[in-house]
Amino acid sequence: MLFRLNPTGGQPLYLQLMEQIRHAIENGSLQHGDQLPGIRTLAQELVVSPTTIAKAYAELEHEGLLDLRQGSGAFISATARLSEKDRILHAKRRIRRLVEDLRQAGLRDDEVRRIFEAELLSPSEALISR
Amino acid sequence: MTYTPVIETVALSKSYDRVQALRSLDLSVKPHRITAFLGPNGAGKSTTIRILLGIVRPTKGKGFLLGQPVDQGESVRLRARIAYVSDNKQLYDYMTVEQMIRFSRSFYTDWRPDIERTLLKTYELPIKRRIAVLSKGMRTKLALLLAFARNPELMILDEPSDGLDPVGVEQMLESLVARSAEGITIFFSSHQISEVERIADHVCLLNRGVLALDLSMDKIRESYRRIDLVFPATPDESDFRIAGVESIRTSGRQLSLMVSRNADTLIDRARKLEASSIQVSPASLRDVFLETVKEA
Amino acid sequence: MLWYKAWLETRSRFFIALTLCVVLCAQLVIVLSRGEPPSGTISVLNGVHATLVIVWSLSIVLLMMGGLLREKASGSVQYTLALPVSRLRLMLTRIGMGLVQSVALAILPWIAMLFAGRAAGKPIFISQAGFHVFLLLTGGAVFIALALLISCVVEGEYTAPIVSLGVIVMLAYALSSRSLSRYSPSVYMMGFPYLDRHTSYLAGPLPWLRAGLYMLTAVLLTGIAIRVIQKRDF
Repeated sequence: MLFRLNPTGGQPLYLQLMEQIRHAIENGSLQHGDQLPGIRTLAQELVVSPTTIAKAYAELEHEGLLDLRQGSGAFISATARLSEKDRILHAKRRIRRLVEDLRQAGLRDDEVRRIFEAELLSPSEALISR
Repeated sequence: MTYTPVIETVALSKSYDRVQALRSLDLSVKPHRITAFLGPNGAGKSTTIRILLGIVRPTKGKGFLLGQPVDQGESVRLRARIAYVSDNKQLYDYMTVEQMIRFSRSFYTDWRPDIERTLLKTYELPIKRRIAVLSKGMRTKLALLLAFARNPELMILDEPSDGLDPVGVEQMLESLVARSAEGITIFFSSHQISEVERIADHVCLLNRGVLALDLSMDKIRESYRRIDLVFPATPDESDFRIAGVESIRTSGRQLSLMVSRNADTLIDRARKLEASSIQVSPASLRDVFLETVKEA
Repeated sequence: MLWYKAWLETRSRFFIALTLCVVLCAQLVIVLSRGEPPSGTISVLNGVHATLVIVWSLSIVLLMMGGLLREKASGSVQYTLALPVSRLRLMLTRIGMGLVQSVALAILPWIAMLFAGRAAGKPIFISQAGFHVFLLLTGGAVFIALALLISCVVEGEYTAPIVSLGVIVMLAYALSSRSLSRYSPSVYMMGFPYLDRHTSYLAGPLPWLRAGLYMLTAVLLTGIAIRVIQKRDF
C-alpha cells in the first residue's frame, strides 16, 4: 500500500492521506475487512507526524469508512466500498455536465482548468467552520 | 480540551551586555505533538532553550517546563523527564562511545536498551572509538542516540540534523516520528525548512527575540496563499492592505501578495480592479518564513 | 557515574604527577645508597620534601584544572548541565576526586620513601613522615582551594592552570619576607618553622591552630567557588 504525501502541496497532509485512502477504496486496492498500517508504522514509513495519521484515521472513522478497533488497528469498514463508489460516480456525472455547460458558454478548456485549480486551492467551507 | 503546556514562557527576556537576545517571549507548546522552533540566526532560539534547561537565567519573565517553573533552584527532577540534544553536539572527548552511553544511561531510569541496540546498529557507531576522533556526523548520531534511547515526556532538539548526510537525516526523522507516536512531545529547532514541513504539526517562528508566528502546519497549508496579480496599469498597494494580507510586493505592474486568509476577498477585489492575470498558489513554509522575517 | 567521569578526565594528569613524585623518591634512594651523605640523612630528606612540596603544588594546579568553565570552552557544558544533577553535586564530585588524588600524591611518595629508607639501612621515623604529610596537606589545602576558585572564574581550556600557577608563585614570593613568612603556606608546607635547629628534625607539637586556619581559608574559598558556579550563566 503506497501513499505519497506532498508537504508543499497546499493541502493539509491528513486530508491528502484521507483522499488517497478513499481513492484506494474506490478503485478496489483496499477492500472491506482489509487492515491499514498502524499509526506508528505508517508515520515511520511516510516520515510524517503520527498526528497526521491519527487525524486522517479518526476523520475516516467519522465518515464511516474505517473501523478503529482498540488494540487491533484500523480496518476498512464493511459499508465503505459501496457508498464511496456511489459518491464518485455521482461526482463524475456532475462534473461532466458542468464542463459541458462551460464549454457551451464559450470558455476554453485551459480557462476552465485554471478556474478549477484556483477553486480547489481555496479552503472548503466545511473545514473553515470547524 | 484543557492541557498543561509542556513548555511555556511568559514575557521572557534576556539581555547580554547591550544585546537583547529575547524581548518578552510568550511561548506555549502543547503536549503530544511535534512542534518546530524556527527563526533566523541570532533570533534567540538557543537562548530560549538554555533558559528552559536552567543553563542560563532570564533577565525578566518566567519559564515553565512540564508545568513547573524553571528558575526554582535547579530543577533537577525536571531534567530527568526531558531529553536534550544541544546545538553543538559536544560530548566528552576523552570517553569512548561505549563509555559515553554507559555514563548517560546511569542517570536515567527511563532508558530504553532496545532502542539503544537498534540505533547502535542503524547508526553504525564504533563503540570502542574515542569521541575525540569521531566525525561530526558520528557525534551527532551519538548525541541523538543518547536522547532517543529513553522514554522522556519531552524531547528538546537543537538542530538535530546538523552534520548528518541525507541518509542520516532520514533515519533521524524516522526515529523522531516513532518516538512521537509513543506520546513523547517533540520540540525541535531547525534551519532545514524541508524537514520541518515534513514532520512538524506546529510551528513557532522566533524573530528578533519575540514570537512572530505561532501556527499549525495544517493552518498554513489550508489558508496561506501566494497571490500573483498582473494589472494593465501600475497598481496601488493600498487597495490591497486588508485583513489577512501578510506582505505585499510590487514590481512594475505586478503585485505579489502573501495572505493568511481571505484569499477569496482578495481575488474578488483583484477582479473588480480588472487584473489581467490572477494566479493563486500555496504558500510554502519557506515563503511564510521569509516574508514574516522580512516584514519585521 | 560522575566519579567515573572525573577519574577519566584526570587520570592521565594524575599518573604523570605520580610518576614525577616517584622519580623524586628514586632520587632519595640513589643518594642514600651511596652511603651517608655529608650533610646527614635528615637534611637530604628535608630537601627531598621541599622538592616534593613544589612538585606537589604544580600537580594540584594541573589536577584542579577542569570543571564547567573548561567544559564551556570545549563545548560539552550544555550536555553536562542538562543532566539531572545539581551544579553542587557536579562541583562536589570534582572537588572530591581532586582531594583524593592530592592526598594520594602526598602520601604515596612518603610511603615509598619510608621503604626506601629502610632498604638503604637508614630508616625514617614514621612520626617524621607523618609530620611532613600533615604540613603538606593542611597548607596545600589553600593551594587546592585557590586553584579550584580560579578554575571557576577564569575562562578558557588552558588559561586557568596558568593563572593558578602564577597566583601561587606570586603568593609564595609576596609572603617570603621575614615578617610575612609566618603567613606563607609554602614556607609552612616545607616545614622550615618547625625544624629543630640542631637535629633538623621536625620537632614540637603539630601546629593545629595554623593548620586549622589554613583549612578554614580553604573551605571559605571553596564555598565561594561553589557559589560562583551556581550563580553564573553558561
